[in-house]
Amino acid sequence: MIDKTAPAQTPVGRVVATELKPATPHQFHFWTATETSIGIGAIVRVEEPGNGKRETGRVVYGVVTDALAYSDLATPLHDVVGAEGDPVRAAAAPTVRQEIRLWTAAVLRQEPAEPLQPVPLGEVFVATDADVAEALRMDAYLHTAQPTAIPIGLYTSGGLEAPVYLDADFLLGPEAAHLNISGVSGLATKTSAVEFLLSSIFHHFPSHKGRIAAVCFNVKGSDLCFLDQPGVLDDEDRRRYARLGIPAEPFAQVRHYAPFKADGVNLNTLRTHPDLVGDVQPLVWGLQEVLDFAEVLLNRDDIDAKADAFIDFLADRVVGRDFEDGFGGRHRVQSFADLDRLFRSIFDGLELTGRSDMWRTHHIATMRKVRNRLSNISTRCKGLVTDDGPSNDLPWGRFEDRTVYVVDLANVDPLGQDLAFARIVSKLRERLEHHDLGVDAVVVFVDELNKYAPADGPETYVKKMLLDISERGRYLGLVLFGAEQFRSQVHRRVVGNAGTQVFGRMDMDELATPSYQVMTPATKIKLATLPVGELMVRHPHFTQPIFVRFPRPAVLRGRDGVERFPPGTDLPFEDAVVRQLLRLDRSLAPNRIKDLIDGRDPEDVRRALAAVRRKRPDDVLVAFRRELGGRVSPDVPRERQAVPPLNTISEEPY
Amino acid sequence: MSGRAWADAMRAAGAVPASYVPEGSLGRTDLEEVAGAEAVENAELRVHPADAPGLSPPAASFLDGLQYWKVVFYDGVLPIVHVHVACAVRRRGADRKLRTADHATRDFHLAHLAGLKPAVRRLLDEGGLSVVDLPDGAAAQPGRAQEAARRAVENARVALEKEVGERCAARLGPDEWLVQDGLLSESAVLSGHPRALGVIKSHGAQYFEGPELERALTIPAGHRTSVFRPRGRARHEVYSWYLRLWPWEGNDLLFGLLRIEARAHPDTVARASAISGWLVRERAPLSTPDARWDRLLYPIHDVESYLKALAPRDLLPAPASRLPKTGT
Ligand SMILES: Nc1ncnc2c1ncn2[C@@H]1O[C@H](COP(=O)(O)OP(=O)(O)OP(=O)(O)O)[C@@H](O)[C@H]1O
Ligand SMILES: [Mg+2]
Repeated sequence: MIDKTAPAQTPVGRVVATELKPATPHQFHFWTATETSIGIGAIVRVEEPGNGKRETGRVVYGVVTDALAYSDLATPLHDVVGAEGDPVRAAAAPTVRQEIRLWTAAVLRQEPAEPLQPVPLGEVFVATDADVAEALRMDAYLHTAQPTAIPIGLYTSGGLEAPVYLDADFLLGPEAAHLNISGVSGLATKTSAVEFLLSSIFHHFPSHKGRIAAVCFNVKGSDLCFLDQPGVLDDEDRRRYARLGIPAEPFAQVRHYAPFKADGVNLNTLRTHPDLVGDVQPLVWGLQEVLDFAEVLLNRDDIDAKADAFIDFLADRVVGRDFEDGFGGRHRVQSFADLDRLFRSIFDGLELTGRSDMWRTHHIATMRKVRNRLSNISTRCKGLVTDDGPSNDLPWGRFEDRTVYVVDLANVDPLGQDLAFARIVSKLRERLEHHDLGVDAVVVFVDELNKYAPADGPETYVKKMLLDISERGRYLGLVLFGAEQFRSQVHRRVVGNAGTQVFGRMDMDELATPSYQVMTPATKIKLATLPVGELMVRHPHFTQPIFVRFPRPAVLRGRDGVERFPPGTDLPFEDAVVRQLLRLDRSLAPNRIKDLIDGRDPEDVRRALAAVRRKRPDDVLVAFRRELGGRVSPDVPRERQAVPPLNTISEEPY
Repeated sequence: MSGRAWADAMRAAGAVPASYVPEGSLGRTDLEEVAGAEAVENAELRVHPADAPGLSPPAASFLDGLQYWKVVFYDGVLPIVHVHVACAVRRRGADRKLRTADHATRDFHLAHLAGLKPAVRRLLDEGGLSVVDLPDGAAAQPGRAQEAARRAVENARVALEKEVGERCAARLGPDEWLVQDGLLSESAVLSGHPRALGVIKSHGAQYFEGPELERALTIPAGHRTSVFRPRGRARHEVYSWYLRLWPWEGNDLLFGLLRIEARAHPDTVARASAISGWLVRERAPLSTPDARWDRLLYPIHDVESYLKALAPRDLLPAPASRLPKTGT
């Protein structure tokens, strides 16, 4: 891939140094012809003139960060005088003034590195493939016995094109990890860049580092719904894929997960076209799963030690056990419905006996609050959280190599999104810690990171969790790829811990914030006008940010996907149930299923469906009938009180 | 022998190192004389407006020379001088940019050879540069030696300019002009060329007296005098006229005043106004920050900058003072 054949080159410029603009060990200036291919971001090689002893002199690599042009005009007034105040005449002057293109470059690397000295006043050459590899210190991980190079794109300048690689040890751990990408909506190609990079990782993640998977949270429309479908590429894209050694193909293995809609049978995703919906797995959690992460729900507002203690009590002593409520009732709480029955019976008991406001050591107000919170989530996240019945989850322990797990949360209530993040990431972490996830490393892609780890606002559980991954994940193989429009709106330590920083087209106001002070005005202008498909990359091996081009991701864009595969309309309840069961057994007769569920309580049907889905029996219909008949619908009619949203996040439009 | 070893050897032979750039060594001397003129265009010198826009040659070459010299040793009181003369032609084509078309340099040592110690004399031949003898009269006094050196240097520059100018004239395209900084009359070839001009900025030599002198030196901007034939020192016959680029009122009599030399031919008279119009247009771009910008055409300034940029640094007057050097 790296082109090592180096044709004899002619210099394009010459280093100059004056007392006012000296060459230093980290910066130098050079001039070029007025017509030149050099531009901001170009990588150049400086060669020290030989010392006459046939020893090659010092070689310095630099990246152009600034540029000046001026002529020998002493003062602007003299141009006016010469043209007698008439701009037309100025253009007609018989001679064009001498002018200069003077470039400033930041040193990327010096060879030899020691002793570190000012850049020699030598000839300047356009960098070749091999120079780029050298300049970016990629030789350390590209041409080794066990290379760890992951292509990120092509450095292009003046007709030259060189692949740029990241080091897997610094992108995916353990040396450093995480990637953050920012830039304005639509033009920064953030989501596209991550999709492309994931495909690059899947093809180039070295085998000696083990197995890798990605978990992508789809939080925006249909963005990540069609990663398994081929997208539209042009010849230039395909050429770039070839140059980078990545097949221009969509992901071979994608597993889709989406919660149900409130009806509990239709999937809450835009991937519902009849041809595709078949491989979308429902994501459903029950009381047990939710209680584990009850903290997520509580610390969103007033953190309450008493409520915490009560939740612990429920989780440790009540759920899944036989429990006596103190008023003669016996309970075995396995679902939200069971739990609600317990609450009801306690409140009734307290009221009837008129004893006090305390039950065991818990105040009735605390209990009401916890009940409200839990009922709140089962209401707001109906479809993700089942009120009743078992769950359907990601394949913990059975994660497959080079597989993308897309979790579609685009239409889920913010509270539910938080719960999903918290639970999935915590499970990943726990599994990776015990080496029983099924893969050795997982990339977690969180788009719109500013919503989940905002720079200011309360210390939510999700924020703390993202911070925790970004600080400790690299040892575990838990890698965060985050994207957001404005870096300044994301928690400082979350972006700060990302070993690799990528920038697409940036907003000028954002560039004016202090975190971009180190960039030259020219670099900022370049960032503010960056064309689509071009990125600026910071990586631990690169001394300076580098501009690269990447091809369009070889997957179907979300918005094209919904055109090519228009989402199916929601099915009526029975048809949706039929479809769910047909996925387990294609030979089932739809009418027989409809007969079975006719007149049944939908809750029972949902529960039975979930049970069948979990058990995957040989005879689906028999099992379904058994599950349906096995229970009666709860005799106490449910009357949930929807509590108002708990915090402002829920008001954000999605 | 390396430069350092040679210098050491010279020292061992009794020469004392020096570093002295005589004042005015960078410029040229003005000739202070009244030469006289012969009427050509009008019987009495008159003032004519320069044509606007005038001639507009598609290509023009500009020639200028430069001389640097420096006393590098004294053998007794006799100076040994290092001389650098250079000449370049920068050609301007359709894109209005100047590019080097010709460039020549000469470096040599000057000394009164007969007066040197034999060892120094021998070493001088080994110094890597050609050696030019100063005439006998130069030996008597250091001041006179210096004056003789100055003249030798100037002659060397003029010779080089002549050589390069004639070479350039031979290559000139059919519509192409050659503009030389200084006298055209030094060269038979150039003074006979239909499209060669000499542009003289210094007016040490005067050709008129009385009311004609007044008319010549007070022409308004954008005007020229009648064409005349200068008399006196000129080696070869040329025609000449004065041309004013910028208004002198409020400045100085000679402000913006050029004297042009061209072939002694009736065509020159016919074209004097058109040529003048062209040269007036050459006022832009201004050749500032050069102090002589009122008379220095930008392309000539450009050739001069070019030559200066390539001249050996060690012949320039040291920027520091001439305080005794400390250390080695
Ligand atoms: N390499 C590329 N070359 C050219 N165009 C591209 C490239 N990658 C993506 N695009 C185009 O750029 C557009 C924006 O891409 P993308 O949706 O990834 O941006 P984004 O930064 O994620 O935007 P948002 O902030 O709205 O999510 C898409 O229409 C896509 O087709
Ligand atoms: Mg996006």
